[in-house]
Amino acid sequence: MGLFSNEKKVDYDKIVDKMLPDARKELDESQYDTELGLNMARDARKVISGKLKIEDFHKVYSSSLTKEFGNYYASETPDTKKKSDGPKWAMVIDLKKCVGCDTCTVSCKAENRTPPGISYNVVMESLEGEFPNIKAVNLPRPCMQCDKPACAQVCPTRATYKMENGIVAIDNDRCIGCRYCIVACPYGARSFDFGDSYEQEMVGYNDVTSPEYGKERGNREKGKTPIGTVRKCSFCFHRLQRGEEPACVETCIGDARFFGDISDPNSVVSKLAASPRAFRLKEELGTHPNVIYLR
Amino acid sequence: MSNLAVDLKQKTTSKTKINLEVSKAFKIWISALTIAFLIGGYFIVERFITGLAATNLSSITPWGAWIAFYIFFVGLSAGSFLLSTLIYVFGMEEYERVGKAALFTAIVCMIVALTFVLMDLGRPERLLNAIIFWNVTSPLAWEVHFYMVYIGLLTAELYIAMREDLVRAAKMNTLKGFVARLITFKNATINAATKKRDHMWMKILGTIGIPLAILGVHGGTGTIFAVVKARPAWNTALFPIIFVVSAMVSGTALLLAMYIIKKKVQKQPIDQGMVVSLSKMMVGFLIIDLGLQFYEYLIGWYGLEAEHLDSLATMMASEKAWSFWGVQMFLGAVVPITIVFWKKTSQNINALLAAAVLIVIGIIGVRFNIVVPPLVVPVFHELPWGNYAPTIKEWMVSVGVVAMGLLIYSFGELLLPIEETSDEVSHNGK
Repeated sequence: MGLFSNEKKVDYDKIVDKMLPDARKELDESQYDTELGLNMARDARKVISGKLKIEDFHKVYSSSLTKEFGNYYASETPDTKKKSDGPKWAMVIDLKKCVGCDTCTVSCKAENRTPPGISYNVVMESLEGEFPNIKAVNLPRPCMQCDKPACAQVCPTRATYKMENGIVAIDNDRCIGCRYCIVACPYGARSFDFGDSYEQEMVGYNDVTSPEYGKERGNREKGKTPIGTVRKCSFCFHRLQRGEEPACVETCIGDARFFGDISDPNSVVSKLAASPRAFRLKEELGTHPNVIYLR
Repeated sequence: MSNLAVDLKQKTTSKTKINLEVSKAFKIWISALTIAFLIGGYFIVERFITGLAATNLSSITPWGAWIAFYIFFVGLSAGSFLLSTLIYVFGMEEYERVGKAALFTAIVCMIVALTFVLMDLGRPERLLNAIIFWNVTSPLAWEVHFYMVYIGLLTAELYIAMREDLVRAAKMNTLKGFVARLITFKNATINAATKKRDHMWMKILGTIGIPLAILGVHGGTGTIFAVVKARPAWNTALFPIIFVVSAMVSGTALLLAMYIIKKKVQKQPIDQGMVVSLSKMMVGFLIIDLGLQFYEYLIGWYGLEAEHLDSLATMMASEKAWSFWGVQMFLGAVVPITIVFWKKTSQNINALLAAAVLIVIGIIGVRFNIVVPPLVVPVFHELPWGNYAPTIKEWMVSVGVVAMGLLIYSFGELLLPIEETSDEVSHNGK
C-alpha cells in the first residue's frame, strides 16, 4: 500500500529534537557545572546500553560530584551484587486452610497440559489418629524447588539444574531419559513422559502444549520432546514470566497457598516462613526445600 | 550367512575329524543364537519405535529389568576381569587356562551392559550427552566415563595377552591366521625381550585395572544406587562393597561354567584340579557376600524406619518374595554351597557345573531384588505403590541383547586365539 501513496514521511526524530530542551542551555541556567552534567549524561547512556559498568561510572565521577555537591552527595558505588540477584521464588502452603479439594491438582493439569500418568501437583490425603479422634490431613505436594536438589546432583547431563530465581529447571532438549532424577527425588515430584495422551477422550488435546520454561513447542507428537524425558512442576515459570502467579496458587479456593520472593524480608512468604508453624518436608535430608508448610 | 562361509573356510583348510564335529556343534549354536537375536531384534526395533511405553515401568518404579540386567552384566565383567588379574598380576598360574577367556568375557559383558543401558534410555539418541555435558557430581556420568576407559584397558590387555598366539597364528593359512595378519604388525616376533615386555605390560595394565574395576566400574555402579538418599534401602556405605563382592561371585561362576561347558562340547579333557579350586573360591566369595548382606538387612531392619522396613518387606514377604527366597537364597546360595562342600558332589564336574550355573542365576535374582523392591515402595506413604513385573517385550528385548553378546563372544572365539593354545605349542615356541 505504502508504495503508491504520496504521503511524505514524518521525521519523528526531528520533532523530538525540537521538543527536547537544549541540555547545555538548561544546565547553564543552573548553579552547577555544565560540563560535568553533560559528561555524566553521556556516560549514563553508556551504562544503560551496557558499554560502561556502573562501578566504573561511580569511580569516574565520585570525586568531582563530592566537590560539586558537597554534603548533598553521599552515595558510594551501590552494592550491585545484592540488587542483581532478583527474586527467589518460594511457596507457602497453609495446611490449616487446605480443604483437600484438589483444585490445585486440576488447575495444574489444565495449565501445564500434563499427559495421563503425570501430575506435577498432588494432594496427599491421610487420616491421623484412631476413631473417633481422627483428623484428616491434606498435604499438597508440588515440586519443592530445593536449594540443594538431589535431582540436579545426580543428573548425568546437567539437564536439570537450579536457576538463579530458585526454580529447579529441566532442559527437556538435553535430557536423555535415564530417570536417575526420578529415583533420587525424595518427594516423588518427577515423572517420566511415556508419550500417553488424552486425545482419545478429549478431541484436540494434542494440538496445544504448555509453553513450559517459556518454550513454545507446538503440538504434542509421537517421539517429540518432551516425550521420552522427565517432567515436573516449574512453579509455572511461563506464568511468572508474564507476571502471574502459579496456577495452583491462583486457583486455591481456601487461599491456602502463598507465592513470592523469599529473599525479600518484607514479602508475605518471608513473613509466613518465619512463623513457628512453618516446617518443610523431609528436612533431615538436607535438600532445603523452597515450599514451606504451615502446620 | 557368515557362519556358513566360516564353515566352508574351515573345511577347505582340511582340519581333522574332531574339528569338523566341533564346527557342527558350533553351527547349531550359532543358528540358535541368530534366531534368538532376530526374534529379540524385532522387539528391540519395536521398543525404539514405541519408546518406553513398551515396558511396565512407571514414574513410581522408573527402573526395572533392563537396569537389573545392566548391573548384572557390569558385575560379570568386573568379576571376570578381577579373576584374570589373579592370573596376570598375582601370578596364580593354575588358572591360566581361563585367563584370556576371562578378559574377553569382561569386554563382551561390558558391551552387553551398555546395550541394556541404551535400551533403557528414554532418549537413546542423546546418549552422548552424558559425555558432552558431564555433570561431575553425578555417579552415573562418572560411570559412563569409567566404562569407556575400562573397555579400552581390557582391549589393550587382551591384545597383549593374545599377542604371541596372534604372531604364531599369522603364519598359518586359516581364518584365524587371516584375522591375525590383519591385527598384527608385519615385523612382530616372539623372543625373550618381547616376552618380558608383554609380561610387564600385562602386569602394569592389570594393576591399573584392579582399582579401576573395583572402585570405578563396579563399586561405582553400586555408588549409583548407594548415593540415593531418597531410598533408604540403597543408601548405605556397605552397598558398593556388596556390589563388588557379588561381582566376584558371579564372575567366577560364569567363567567356571563356560570353561566346563566348552570343554564338554569340544570333548577335551577338563582340568579337574582347577575346576575344584575355582569352585571353592567361588563359594568363598559367595559366603562373604551373604555375610555382608546379612548385616545390611539386619541394620536396616533394626532401624525401624518405615520406608526401609517396607522395602525389606516387599523383598522378603510380598507375593514376589519367591525371587528373594527361591532364586537368590535357595537356588543361588544354599544349593551351590551344599554342592561344593558335600563330599559326594565336591569332586563331581557335573555337580560343580550345576552349582556355577545356579550361582549365576541366583545373582540375576540378587540384581532384580536390588533394583525393584526399593522402587516399589513410594517415597511418601500416601502416594500409590508401584507394581512392576517385566512385560513380554522387556524379556524379549533382554533375550535379543544377551544373544547379541553371545554371538559376539562366539565369533570372537572363532576368529581370535582366545582359547588357551595347547601347552606343546607354546613349548615348541620357546
